[in-house]
Amino acid sequence: MGDIRQSLLPRDVLSAAKELLYHLDIYICNMVQSGRQPPQVDSKTLDLIEEFILHTPKDRNAPVRRMSALQELQLLEIMCSCFQEQSRDTVRQLMFSALFNLQGNQADESRMALLSKLVSMAVAVGRVPILECAATWLQRTHRVYCVRLAQVLVDDYCSMVPGSGPTLRNIHSASPRFCCQFITAVTTLYDLTSDELTPPLELLQMIVSWIQDDPRLVLINFLNSPLSGSQPISSLDITPLGGLIRWCIKAPLAYRRDKKQAGTNGSSDGEPDAPHLFSALHLSVLQVFMLLPNILNEKGLFGRLALLQMESVASLTSDLSRLLDQTDKHTLAATTDTHGASQLALDRLAQALQVAMASGALLCSREDLRAICSRLPHNNLLQLVLSGPVMYYNNIHTPPLAYSPHAAHSPMPAHATLPTLPTHTPHTPLTSHPASHTQYPTQPFITGMPFPFRPGH
Amino acid sequence: MSVVFDGTPLKAMQSSHSHKARTALSAQELSQEIKSFISGVDALQGRKLSVREHARCAVRLLRSVPACRGAVLEHLRGVYDEHVSTFLHNLETEGNASSGASSNLEDIIQEVHGVLSEFIRLNPRAWAPLVSTWAVDLLGQLSSKHAGRRVAPHSSSLNELLQLWMSCAATRSLMEAYSQCLAAMLAWCPDACVDALLDTSVKHSPHFDWVVAHIGSAFPGTIISRVLACGLKDFCSHGGKDQGLLVEKGSKVPKIGSVVGILGHLAAHHSDSIRKELLRMFQESLTPSTPLSPTSSSTSWEASPQLRRAAVPFLLQLAAMSPNLFGAVSSELVEMLRPPVLLQLQALLQGLPREELDNMLGLAVHLISQSPTGGARVLKFLADTATPASVIISGPTPSPHEGVREGCDRLLQMLLLHLHKLVFNRSDGAEVSPLSSASSQPQRVTPFLEELRSHVGQLCAETLRLERKRHLWLHQLLCLLSVYGGPSVATETLCQLLTQARNPEELALAWQLHTTLSSCMAGLIPAAVAHCVAQIHTHTLGPRQLRQLLLNLAAAIQSQDEERKGAAGAHFSMAVQIGSAISGHLHDFGPLLLHGDSAVSHAAVRLLSCSPLPRTSSPAHLLLLSRAAVTHFFLALRRRGDAKKVGRDVGQTGEAVSCSVLLLSRFAAYSPLTLKAILQQLVEGALHKGNADLFGGQIADMSGAPVASPSVSPDLGASLLDINCRFGTTVNFSGSVWSVFHAGVIGKGLKVRTAVNLPDPSAVIQNIQTLLAVIVQCCSSSSFNGSQSPSDPDEPQPINAEAAKVVAVTLVENVCPDVANGELSWPPEEHARTTVERDIYIRRCFEAHPILFPLLQVVAAGRPALCYCSAVLRGLLATLLSHWEGSRDALSTDSPWHLQASCLLVSCMGEGQLLPPVLANVHEAFAHLTPFEVRLLLLAVWEYVRGNGPLPQKFVFSSDKCMFCRDFSRDGDVSRYVAPIHSVLHKNIDRLGHLCWRFQL
Repeated sequence: MGDIRQSLLPRDVLSAAKELLYHLDIYICNMVQSGRQPPQVDSKTLDLIEEFILHTPKDRNAPVRRMSALQELQLLEIMCSCFQEQSRDTVRQLMFSALFNLQGNQADESRMALLSKLVSMAVAVGRVPILECAATWLQRTHRVYCVRLAQVLVDDYCSMVPGSGPTLRNIHSASPRFCCQFITAVTTLYDLTSDELTPPLELLQMIVSWIQDDPRLVLINFLNSPLSGSQPISSLDITPLGGLIRWCIKAPLAYRRDKKQAGTNGSSDGEPDAPHLFSALHLSVLQVFMLLPNILNEKGLFGRLALLQMESVASLTSDLSRLLDQTDKHTLAATTDTHGASQLALDRLAQALQVAMASGALLCSREDLRAICSRLPHNNLLQLVLSGPVMYYNNIHTPPLAYSPHAAHSPMPAHATLPTLPTHTPHTPLTSHPASHTQYPTQPFITGMPFPFRPGH
Repeated sequence: MSVVFDGTPLKAMQSSHSHKARTALSAQELSQEIKSFISGVDALQGRKLSVREHARCAVRLLRSVPACRGAVLEHLRGVYDEHVSTFLHNLETEGNASSGASSNLEDIIQEVHGVLSEFIRLNPRAWAPLVSTWAVDLLGQLSSKHAGRRVAPHSSSLNELLQLWMSCAATRSLMEAYSQCLAAMLAWCPDACVDALLDTSVKHSPHFDWVVAHIGSAFPGTIISRVLACGLKDFCSHGGKDQGLLVEKGSKVPKIGSVVGILGHLAAHHSDSIRKELLRMFQESLTPSTPLSPTSSSTSWEASPQLRRAAVPFLLQLAAMSPNLFGAVSSELVEMLRPPVLLQLQALLQGLPREELDNMLGLAVHLISQSPTGGARVLKFLADTATPASVIISGPTPSPHEGVREGCDRLLQMLLLHLHKLVFNRSDGAEVSPLSSASSQPQRVTPFLEELRSHVGQLCAETLRLERKRHLWLHQLLCLLSVYGGPSVATETLCQLLTQARNPEELALAWQLHTTLSSCMAGLIPAAVAHCVAQIHTHTLGPRQLRQLLLNLAAAIQSQDEERKGAAGAHFSMAVQIGSAISGHLHDFGPLLLHGDSAVSHAAVRLLSCSPLPRTSSPAHLLLLSRAAVTHFFLALRRRGDAKKVGRDVGQTGEAVSCSVLLLSRFAAYSPLTLKAILQQLVEGALHKGNADLFGGQIADMSGAPVASPSVSPDLGASLLDINCRFGTTVNFSGSVWSVFHAGVIGKGLKVRTAVNLPDPSAVIQNIQTLLAVIVQCCSSSSFNGSQSPSDPDEPQPINAEAAKVVAVTLVENVCPDVANGELSWPPEEHARTTVERDIYIRRCFEAHPILFPLLQVVAAGRPALCYCSAVLRGLLATLLSHWEGSRDALSTDSPWHLQASCLLVSCMGEGQLLPPVLANVHEAFAHLTPFEVRLLLLAVWEYVRGNGPLPQKFVFSSDKCMFCRDFSRDGDVSRYVAPIHSVLHKNIDRLGHLCWRFQL
């Protein structure tokens, strides 16, 4: 493979890249067919890629070859068709990783740039194979780079080109895996700490509709990926659950701040506003949690794999407490509005914690939780969650209430919706209800615990 | 028309396309579009896309595929370029509309512009930086690519260029897009777009200027401050140390160059705001940053101490690169530099490293030397600031101002050094290549000095104040200025110094200046003197200045005399030069002797009395001068008298007289002509009505005509008939036998004598002495004497015969109005009757002018000059004879004047050797005789003179005595004339015994 360099050198930029791609394709096909294990592209080939596709100067003396934007577009187009036409997944994957796996050298910048453009283009023209490869890439790469890719996509489709949002929305159907990874990356990127890091409304809508349509989307990578342990260090979480929970919990505070700045002119008529979207999102996330016990049990991982890391919960609570402090400071005379917002955030935290623990996504003791949540202000529901035993719906003898979207705002009804959730989840067939019920036969610690809100007390 | 028809369906198609694009193309369609766009071929129909279709395709991609953004924009560059080419081509082919219409891409440009501006409007943060960079870059590319086109005006004509490009749709659209971006970005990151502008400006320097100019005039306030801020940042990051290497860098020119260019363009219309902005920058760089104060500008370079420190060097650098900007700022800057600001400045600059400070200093010096206006103010400011306040204030602890002062001191010295280099290198350069004429090698102009040329007078005045250090600086500057400005300025300077200096110390500055300049400039002093003279002629100098100038010149010449004794040198040579220069202009100074201001005339006489006389001079000048000198002499005498009366300025007036005397004597010695003129005028002057009283004379009524006393005829409106009827006025009979004497009108007694007011006798005596001294000096030191000089200095020089003759002739002319009977030889005594009227006139003259006798004595001393006075002597003697004859007094002493006149006359004649000693001695006896006896003796004198005519040829020059003498032995026997003397002696032997020996033969 390395010997073609001499033939590539005199070519113009584009045709050299084209030829290299062609040779790479053949080379990888051969490699896969020979069944060499592990299928690894040698470093000489990687060098060639860097030189002729990414155009990193090999040495100082070499003239810098640079593609014009047009040539780059042509190259992207060729790549798109190249991946599209390659029928074998393995070859595709190998080729993609040969091209775009980060090598930790100076070529990474142009690699990222090219990748971003390629993915953005693939989104536009619906190249599923590329999106699939990109999904894999997102699983394996350091989260910083994943976030950058997500940023490019969000910029391209949600802010730069008006009216191109629907195109991005399509990735859900085109490649759920990519979509899932994208959500993870986006929730990692937008941690609601500042205005810049608040997701655009369009993106939020998109994500909410995705999850509402298909809650399992969130788990799809978890479902498809092999067992844990193969996760590279500091890659993205395997599910976007942590990030989504963070969004839901911090949103009441962050968006309130937003609204205050935007004033009254920000009301977009016709479209659902952010609080509603987050409320819906919160519900969806809780529903996803409810799916977990089955899946974990199927995989035999219940109680062994924490989809929600303790550390992320800890950082979330500390963020929250700081945020609440700030809110209090900013509005000395705490209005009912701000009070309501912080209570909503705490309610959501409590709900999420309880459901996560119950569904086996969060593995920790109550003491740990108490320690984490000690600095938070008082909230009835949270108090309940922290002090009481996990209340499973089959042990609470309260009549099921009807679900209403407004219920999420008051602690009591939100709490009360929990038992009814499965019945209203569209994707969960009713028949599975007894099955899931049977999975938790014994709850020895339920009785005897003080429960202030229990009827009859 | 074709355009319209062509356009309508396209519009429709375009709108349908855009509509389609908005309703989200499917992935498949998009992929087709991309393929079409890349290949330029319609993917479905397989035909080649037209430029228009291709561009449409690109726009669709721009709207739907974000990843194609870069490629689309790149493609659009070509489209814009195409449009510009077509546009220019159409212009060149004089609007061949038919050919132009087909490829006119204006609609597509509009479409692109619409899309871009929509994007920018929707999401300025994302699009504005992108589009602004693109637009600016493309504009730069387009304008430099098409700069060479025939229709494109030259890059220097900015307005035409602007007009051309703004009439082109493509460039106009780009410009609008950029403006939109800028307007959007100014809110949050103005630096980025201005940065791009600057970068492009650097790259496409002259051709891109119209863009900058347009943008700048659209956003003057912001652009100016942004451009400055950007320049400052860039400057700061490049570091001040590169300043010097600016030129050598070449490839990597910092942005400051384009900052200067841009501001230079804007200066045409917005110089005011530029100035304000620059000054604001300066001020804010000084004021300590207060983080709390919300500064309006979002760049907030003020916040960074490093940037604030760099602001002053930056501004200096800016000013150095653009005279426009410098000119805009300099005038107000000086006004702004008040003490508190200076302190701040010092505080700010203290933190800078030494070499940077030196750099700045050099820059500042360079700037000052190049500043075309306000140089005088800058200089004044520097000098004011650098001058130590006072000895008392600058005590042991240096005040905070001390640092500022030292800084200014240093700056000033550097400035002088720099100017020195400039001035002397310049002339060096001219000397190195003497072949090249002055025109081919234009001398380098130093604006600072150029401007100061008009302030030479003030500078001189400042210098002469002799304030501590200041006058040293200024003096040095004057030197430089003189060298720079050439002879004209040097002359002017010297002249000013000469005019304004008030004491020897101040005058010394002029000599110092001359000493410095003399090495490189010849003929400075003559030119300066000529300049002074020109000033005198044009009356530009006031009396005080004039006086000062004359005194200074005099002092200069007098120093020559002192120096001659002591050490000679440059100074000496200069005094000599001044002397010779002035001697050439003596006639110009002459009139000043008669200046109305006594101080001026005094100064003039002082100058003239000490200045050397020219080698040659035209007689007219000499005569004028001598007349002026003589007139001044009498004026001086009168002033002395007046001063004595009042008791004030006695010394000065006395000195004026002595100067005048000196002048006259020197002048008389100059040439026979002057001698003659002076003597003549002196005598005339002494006898003149106006001066007569100085010498005890009276304005006597010399004519026989009656004096119409006002009391007698108060009627001023007398008729002509009345006057004609008056006796004696109708016909003038004087001198004829018909002469009639009026002693008065019968019945009204004797004619009233005019009132006699006798002046102070001592003053009269002094005046007479002075006059005689002058005349004697003139006569004795005259050039007639030639080389001979008396061996004994104590012995007065003999009076020169020629000179005495002049005096004599003048005397005769003045005293004796009638030339009839004017021959030298005497007639018999009886003939005197024919000249009675003349004789009486002569006597009255002698009565009226006591000075005449001393003058006669002088004449007598210059033998044989008295011969020429023969007529006068005769007339006087005749009247005396008739007086003594008619006198009925017992003694001669009863008519004192006649006695005295007789004595003086005889003694004069004796001195003049008209009489032999025996006869000459008779006057000694007069006082002891009766009038008749006196007459007898005088008759004897007459007889002798008649017998031995007073003719000059009877005198011979005796070389041992250095004078003419008469040998009486050649004449006839004296004894027969002595007989009456002896009879009178006999008769009065009792009283005259002691005189007998005087009359021995």
